[in-house]
Amino acid sequence: MTGDSRPAVPEPVVPESAVPEPAAPGAAAPEPAVPEPAVLPGRSMAVCAVIGAAVMAAVDEIVFHQVLGWHHFFDRSTPAVGLLSDGLLHTAELLGLVLGFVLYADLRRRHALAPAHARAGLLLGLGGFQLFDGIVDHKLLRLHQIRYGVDLLIYDLVWNGAALVLLAVGAVLAVRARRRARS
Amino acid sequence: MPPAPGMLLAVLALLAALAYLTATTRLRRRGDTWPGWRDACFAAGCAVLACASLGPLPGGPFTAHMAQHLALAMIAPVLVVLARPLTLLLRVLPARPRRALLTVAHSAFATVLVFPPLAALLDLGGLWLLYRTPLFAATHQPLVHAAVHVHVVASGLLFTFAVCQLDPMRRRWGLAWRATALLGAGAAHAVLAKSLYATPPPGTGFTTTDLHHGAQLMYYGGDVVELAIAVVLAVQWYVSTGRVRSHEQRRAGKVTATAVAGGPR
Repeated sequence: MTGDSRPAVPEPVVPESAVPEPAAPGAAAPEPAVPEPAVLPGRSMAVCAVIGAAVMAAVDEIVFHQVLGWHHFFDRSTPAVGLLSDGLLHTAELLGLVLGFVLYADLRRRHALAPAHARAGLLLGLGGFQLFDGIVDHKLLRLHQIRYGVDLLIYDLVWNGAALVLLAVGAVLAVRARRRARS
Repeated sequence: MPPAPGMLLAVLALLAALAYLTATTRLRRRGDTWPGWRDACFAAGCAVLACASLGPLPGGPFTAHMAQHLALAMIAPVLVVLARPLTLLLRVLPARPRRALLTVAHSAFATVLVFPPLAALLDLGGLWLLYRTPLFAATHQPLVHAAVHVHVVASGLLFTFAVCQLDPMRRRWGLAWRATALLGAGAAHAVLAKSLYATPPPGTGFTTTDLHHGAQLMYYGGDVVELAIAVVLAVQWYVSTGRVRSHEQRRAGKVTATAVAGGPR
């Protein structure tokens, strides 16, 4: 399938096999033939934010459900919509983990990764998910609480406070990355 | 569990493995390449099918049932689908049966059946019916039990086949359709597992520990298999975008090369 749109031009001089490879020894610059899209800061940040959110969800699952056993597997007071959102979120977390890493690998392959933006995105994702979990899951849907049988206030403050710290660090890194990219 | 359907399934699985290995041997002797890991996958899938349908699995009755469900409907199908059985059949069959198989595979019915959301609905819908109606309590009847067994294995295979889309079918669905079907099925599976933790299937009386272990096994076991399918989709995307990319680069390289060589433009 050679969907070549150019008019029929005789070009037997350069057979396909003789096309200079990017890293050919005679080539002056090892530039790839196509002008690669330059670094993609926005995409780097978004991809790493997906990874961050999924990682935080996984940490939540592993540390609080499995290791500490603070979160119950099932809370009888959970409404159906909460159960549904939890199932959806849980599956999205798994798929997000895979999606994030494959998109990250794609960025690396295209030499389009902006490391500073990626770091900022990662922290924003981590904090964003933590805050979402603390506010929406714990408080609005009442899906589960951080811990049971104790006064929740201090736990909630620490949980959401930690989320805000992560978000703040992420925001600072994002601003710095953008400033450095401009200058 | 009555031994008859289990035994039958185990024998069928072993025969399938034998047929697969014979076919790949013939293929290789002919000079075709066929990666060895596909043989391993198919053999492992058949072994899982046979073991799960024969052996009494450990744990309480509900946990053992759930382990069987996981093995038959999720783990074995992924292994079997990864081995691309349809592709193999199309390569080794003689012309006439091959044409017949293609007619079936390209029929309107098959095309509709492998529409990923429909496959997900058939698979998960059957599961919800099984656990949320008196159907599960009725599986002590051999005939019902056998029918449920067959449905679970077949729908698991169908779902995995439709979402992974490794074998050639007439209609190919994009990644968005397949990923969405996976997401929906995963969520429905997780919700069902969690709800089983609290409420047993109607008409059954399992101990609470047994019920809890079974539900948790379903939840986390489902995760592992979902993750595996997601990795299959991710690798497909990565490889195909890479192919497009290197193709574009080669083409652009050709253009530059002609330009550099003082080509006609």
